[in-house]
Amino acid sequence: MFSRRFVSASLLCFCLLVPISVIPQIASAQWHAKETEWPSYAADLAGTRYRPLDQINASNFSDLEIAWRIKTDNFGDRPEYKLEGTPLMVNGVLYATAGSRRAVIALDAESGELLWIHGEHEGKRGGAAPRQLSGRGLAYWSDGKEERIFYVTPGFRLICLNAKTGQRVPSFGENGILDLKLDDDQTISAWNDKHEWVPDLETGEIGIQSAPVVAGDTVMVGAAFREGMTPKSMRNNKGYVRGFDVRTGKRLWIFHTIPKKGEAGYDTWEKGSAEYTGNTGVWTQITVDEQLGLVYLPVESPTSDFYGGHRPGNNLFGETLVCVDLKTGQRKWHFQLVHHALWDMDISSAPILANITVDGKPVKAVAQPTKQGFLYVFDRITGKPIWPMPEKPVEVGNVPGEWYSPTQPIPSKPPAYSRNGVSIDDLIEFTPALREKGKEVASHYHLGPVYTPPTVSKLEGPLGTLTMGTASGGTNWPGGSYDPETHIAYLYACNSCIEPIGLVESPKEVSDIRYIAGVAGREVQIMRGPGENAGADSPKPPKKRPASQYVRLDVDGLPLVKPPYGTITAINLDKGDFVWQIAHGETPDVVRNSELLKGMNIPRTGQETYNIGTLITKTLVIAGEGQVTTTPDHPRGAMLRAYDKATGKEVGAVYMPAPQTGSPMTYMVHGKQYIVVAVSGGPYSGEYIAYTLPSAGE
Amino acid sequence: MKRTLPIAGLVLAAASLCALRAQAPADARSVWDGVYTDEQAKRGEAVYRKECAACHGDMLTGGESAPALTGGGFQANWNGLTLGDLFDRIRKTMPQTKPGTLTRQQNADVLAFMLNINKFPAGKTELYRQSEMLKEIRFETKKPPAKD
Repeated sequence: MFSRRFVSASLLCFCLLVPISVIPQIASAQWHAKETEWPSYAADLAGTRYRPLDQINASNFSDLEIAWRIKTDNFGDRPEYKLEGTPLMVNGVLYATAGSRRAVIALDAESGELLWIHGEHEGKRGGAAPRQLSGRGLAYWSDGKEERIFYVTPGFRLICLNAKTGQRVPSFGENGILDLKLDDDQTISAWNDKHEWVPDLETGEIGIQSAPVVAGDTVMVGAAFREGMTPKSMRNNKGYVRGFDVRTGKRLWIFHTIPKKGEAGYDTWEKGSAEYTGNTGVWTQITVDEQLGLVYLPVESPTSDFYGGHRPGNNLFGETLVCVDLKTGQRKWHFQLVHHALWDMDISSAPILANITVDGKPVKAVAQPTKQGFLYVFDRITGKPIWPMPEKPVEVGNVPGEWYSPTQPIPSKPPAYSRNGVSIDDLIEFTPALREKGKEVASHYHLGPVYTPPTVSKLEGPLGTLTMGTASGGTNWPGGSYDPETHIAYLYACNSCIEPIGLVESPKEVSDIRYIAGVAGREVQIMRGPGENAGADSPKPPKKRPASQYVRLDVDGLPLVKPPYGTITAINLDKGDFVWQIAHGETPDVVRNSELLKGMNIPRTGQETYNIGTLITKTLVIAGEGQVTTTPDHPRGAMLRAYDKATGKEVGAVYMPAPQTGSPMTYMVHGKQYIVVAVSGGPYSGEYIAYTLPSAGE
Repeated sequence: MKRTLPIAGLVLAAASLCALRAQAPADARSVWDGVYTDEQAKRGEAVYRKECAACHGDMLTGGESAPALTGGGFQANWNGLTLGDLFDRIRKTMPQTKPGTLTRQQNADVLAFMLNINKFPAGKTELYRQSEMLKEIRFETKKPPAKD
């Protein structure tokens, strides 16, 4: 009984109440965040990750010391090693999601003292959630009197908390809880033991790990699902986006990311595939222009990342940037970045709002970083591309039953800021011998530029298409940054995240999708939790190859592609040109210590990491490393690095005990600037670390 | 003055590290000393496929929900630590959906499979099943020079 029911708030909200006097009251009726605060996941609703603070600068960055730190092990029944949050800071209080419970914690922003903690025990519903752990953050709202914190639990409930106490706000939803699996213009369902698709609020697949977004009096939430490479079925729940009243939780609007019959775009789903296809959510951050009253929705891929034979057509609004009205959710314009998605490019990060000047004319623009390394820039009122994005022919594949778009829109400007295809020229080239070995590895795969389609995996080759800029390349969920004063965008990109995409026929008991991701000669492995398998009459899996015959995507332990492995690029959005591009991150141990490269002078290579977020201050670009290294300069750990915003030159670095896994943020309290970053991974469980400068006289 | 203290701290820390290293027995074993068997790695592969591959991938290359268990990034994470540390990380926190449910033998077998895929050599004896004993085996990414 206890484990099956969602137990009432009063029992399970555990709060350390802080005296109200500790938190200053907000005097003004109209609340506006200060520049010294960080009130929203990406600093502001424009997705800039920018604060014009400059106490920490090039002259002192390397002097930073730890002001406070908090391990998140005890915020859940097990430690977490994938802490991805970016905290908020308003009025001297720092709010963050933390731990495997996805608890919300409030800390004194100066001392790190724990003020309150809130957690929800969701039982089986939380345990079955597609997106678990601590999530990426939360949202703050105030009308000048009341302060509220919003977050979504792993079990897909929107929780409204009193920011002063951590207690749920009873007047919101049902005692502070809004069940997001309800009132969604669909019945959230799951497959039962008899393989029937039945309503199921407990295990029905839908959730989210990104932060809700508050604009005006509307709180908005998208949806996420399991990884889509090997889905169990072509049928799934759909990822609609909704806006709710921040005071009551009443649904204000919904946007159908897969159009319903009669709605625009329905005809891009041939053979009635809009009826059963799911996913197509907005799992990443939503961006809002409050002044224009417009919301920008970056929509992900439809069901089945790499095979779309069951959803013929262009599949609007899959992989489409959609602009809707903040008050009604009505679509204003849209632009589909990828027709008929086959590469899991999604749209993976917050669109960035930029007021720029193009050919002497001011333009309110929106710039969309992507996994495929294109920065798509539009007039954000009309949706018209700032620079042409002509439809260009792309390779049409031959996977049986697949439907291919013969063209894709390719931005003419700015140039791609990370690799988005694989050619022989991209392969390792430290020595001619290594290049030859790289060619041998690559020879097992189909190669090609961006939008080269997946292939059926064959033992004799190709094992699949070797791609970059697909599932984990380019810019992923941390997104980019933007300086509104200089009109320069700063984009971290994984420039070496190789994704082999091979397809195998799916055994009937694994999936009703004809082809799913896999490798010829290896047992089909469904990418989700364990426990589902083999019926008696199902086809036997093909004979396995022994482990020694793995085709490893490296060359004697070295990365298959040449450096730089990870980059930060500064792009002038007035012109669409690069200002600079640097390799971000220390050269990996495996390269620096390689006997094969002994005596060679290899410039810093950067690292193969897909989830690095950047922070922009008045003069600096700040980003941590995503990999551990052990160098003569520092013990096993990672560095938080600062670059001169104007030139990309590194101006300082400070040691972190583990890689950056959540994007850094900054704020100022009582005259001191702080930088907070989430670190975790490998042997190191999640921790938020706050850095500041030594006090005067130290 | 401002810079003196941190540097002094680093010097002290470095000195302590050197002292620690000096105390390590000269014959301390590492992952390069054949600490598992091929047979054990094969058993580990079967456990891996059933319990781990859904998140870490068929080829141990990871995915969005879990990191790679092979390659430079993985090895750098554990470089300088011990197999006991890695064993305990697996034993206490994995599989993520039901941590702590595999036996010590299964965990040791999975670890053997991971060592095999990471190209550390097999030997004639199986991996220990006790964390304390595994803590005597260092995870070193760089192959040490051959002993005299």
